[in-house]
Amino acid sequence: MVPEGMNAVEATVRDVLRDVLSLPQAQVDGFSADTELFGTLPELDSMAVAGVLTELEDRLGIVIEDDEVDGEMLETFGALTRFAAERALV
Amino acid sequence: MLRLGPDHGPTILALPALFEEANRSRTLLVAMLRRLADRGIAGAIPDLPGQGDSLLPTRQARLSMWRDAVAAAATTLAGPVHLVALRGAALAATAIDPASCWYLSPLTGEEQVRELRRLRIAGAGDDYAGNIIADAMIDDLAHAPLPDGARTRVVRLAGDPRLADNHLPGAPPWRAAEPVAAPALADALAQDIAAWIAG
Repeated sequence: MVPEGMNAVEATVRDVLRDVLSLPQAQVDGFSADTELFGTLPELDSMAVAGVLTELEDRLGIVIEDDEVDGEMLETFGALTRFAAERALV
Repeated sequence: MLRLGPDHGPTILALPALFEEANRSRTLLVAMLRRLADRGIAGAIPDLPGQGDSLLPTRQARLSMWRDAVAAAATTLAGPVHLVALRGAALAATAIDPASCWYLSPLTGEEQVRELRRLRIAGAGDDYAGNIIADAMIDDLAHAPLPDGARTRVVRLAGDPRLADNHLPGAPPWRAAEPVAAPALADALAQDIAAWIAG
């Protein structure tokens, strides 16, 4: 089942960051909308970004075009969740 | 070729995921085959040309070589051969006629190429996460069909909503930034394979 609803999308983004960046559950549980990601989280390098995007596509059943990807949508956990939700919840 | 378990009876021909994903998921694959060997089921993991411990430079690999190598590996195995393929490896298994096929999180050639292109863009070089891959190989993969015909089972991980015969809990090691030991996942996958082969 593809996750539906904002809470389900947020939970999926949390799981994807945990699984792709090999972060402890407690760390991703502590993520809030303001938590800074790209540039702050050392695990999130450009290769890891590629893995995060592809895994989000798989789990949410969405397609992310590479020209949609910019620093802004990766800046915070809230921004990444909004970006995913705009595509997953239509 | 890494061989595990007895030298008779049904044998699993296990193909690792492709390119960078192979490094990240090899531990899981070996753990799965060890558990199957403990149950008396033999397994073999070949190195496809240009992958793993193969002496061929990755840039010289072509899909036809992989298919020939898989076929050659299959002829060296005793008993009925059951194919196990992780991720895109199934694309290399169209030149054999196994007793059954078991795929973990398979993807189409087109999807595999899309992932590779994304890695190349992320690395901002000509390589794909450290792998030099010929344009001809990318083209081969982009048009490669998944094998059909044999008795087939598809297993995916719980977070993956796509159609499958079974969804098992666990994180995908082929995506993980750090090598992950996933003993519970290896147990569950080995159990699924053992039941499938026995069925």
